[in-house]
Amino acid sequence: MKIAFTASGTDWDAIIDPRFGRTDYILLYDEEKDELVSVDNRQIMQVAHGAGPQTAQKIFELMPQVLITGNGPGGNAEAILRQIHLQIYAGAGGMTLREAYNAYKNNQLPMGGKNA
Amino acid sequence: MKEIVVISGKGGTGKTSLSASLSYVAANEVVMADCDVDAADLHLILKPENQYSEDFYSGFKAEINPEYCQSCGACFSVCRFEAILRKDDRYEVKYLDCEGCGYCQHVCLAEAINLREQKVGLCHIADARFGCKLVHAELGIGADNSGKLVAKVKRDANRVAKENSKDYILVDGSPGIGCPVISSLSGAAYAVLVTEPSLSGLEDLKRVWELSARFRIACGCVINKADVNPEITAMIKDILVEKDIELLSEIPYDEDFPRAITKGLCLMELDQAKWEPYIKQIWEKIR
Repeated sequence: MKIAFTASGTDWDAIIDPRFGRTDYILLYDEEKDELVSVDNRQIMQVAHGAGPQTAQKIFELMPQVLITGNGPGGNAEAILRQIHLQIYAGAGGMTLREAYNAYKNNQLPMGGKNA
Repeated sequence: MKEIVVISGKGGTGKTSLSASLSYVAANEVVMADCDVDAADLHLILKPENQYSEDFYSGFKAEINPEYCQSCGACFSVCRFEAILRKDDRYEVKYLDCEGCGYCQHVCLAEAINLREQKVGLCHIADARFGCKLVHAELGIGADNSGKLVAKVKRDANRVAKENSKDYILVDGSPGIGCPVISSLSGAAYAVLVTEPSLSGLEDLKRVWELSARFRIACGCVINKADVNPEITAMIKDILVEKDIELLSEIPYDEDFPRAITKGLCLMELDQAKWEPYIKQIWEKIR
């Protein structure tokens, strides 16, 4: 399983950014390979409008099966993510990456997005 | 650090009057962030003295370099905004009409077109009258608010709150449910929805609640001018119960609102005995 996180840092101690569109980093954890890679998203600061869809596009290209985030994506971003049948978990804002991953493993995170 | 956003689906409900009064009662604990940048008016009451200002750049405008331009007219024919002006055989960008989409640059084989990022305003960190800090922005004519600007104002407010050991950021958000509002909600812990008993007040409350709920943000509601239409006030209250939104306060119609703004004061300064119970009650519930 490949799991994407919105985060304000690049390792397991990074804090989950509650914001979806304007997250500083997207972290991708590949459970099979036990490998964590980070994607720098900070150029989003320069984007005036449509931050959500742009970040969604990036996640689309990473092709994860699961997204763990805080507030959850907005309507336009979610429409993009729906195309890859992503399972979205929200409510992890403020946790560390490790805490959020454990919470997800223990089914403690609520489903995010409109159809939650 | 707790970020509290004051928003109203509909404009003119008294959102900024309440924000200003909240900053008065909570001055020792908050950093204020004015994210209602299109029609910023918090500064009229808080009379900030700017301590630090920086230029804010956002959006692009096309520029044609006449040295390279081959006068082929490709830019003219693709521009959806009719922002390219043809003068005989020469082409110019109509500055105010250009949306900065970049289509002209894309089709220009002579590479004569540049997109230049625009300086659209200023961001300030200021000392406000009641003793709290205010982070706010000032936009030039024709510039519009954006998710980018709101994110910047909130980022600065977060930093200022940390530096000054303040526990709360109180964000004066903008009306509506667009990009700037989404940006002001994201990362917030609580949203105060200010409404009034009119049909648009009611409908706009519903949609702004939907937006807040989508982002999993707890909400409370202030019904301002509650006595002008008891029927709709009752409808609003039904919605609050149905959606599990906390009723923070019901405030009767009062001309102190325009009176205070006209004098550049907050409600508390105009009549402390009358307004303190309302404002303190709201603050205690949301903090």
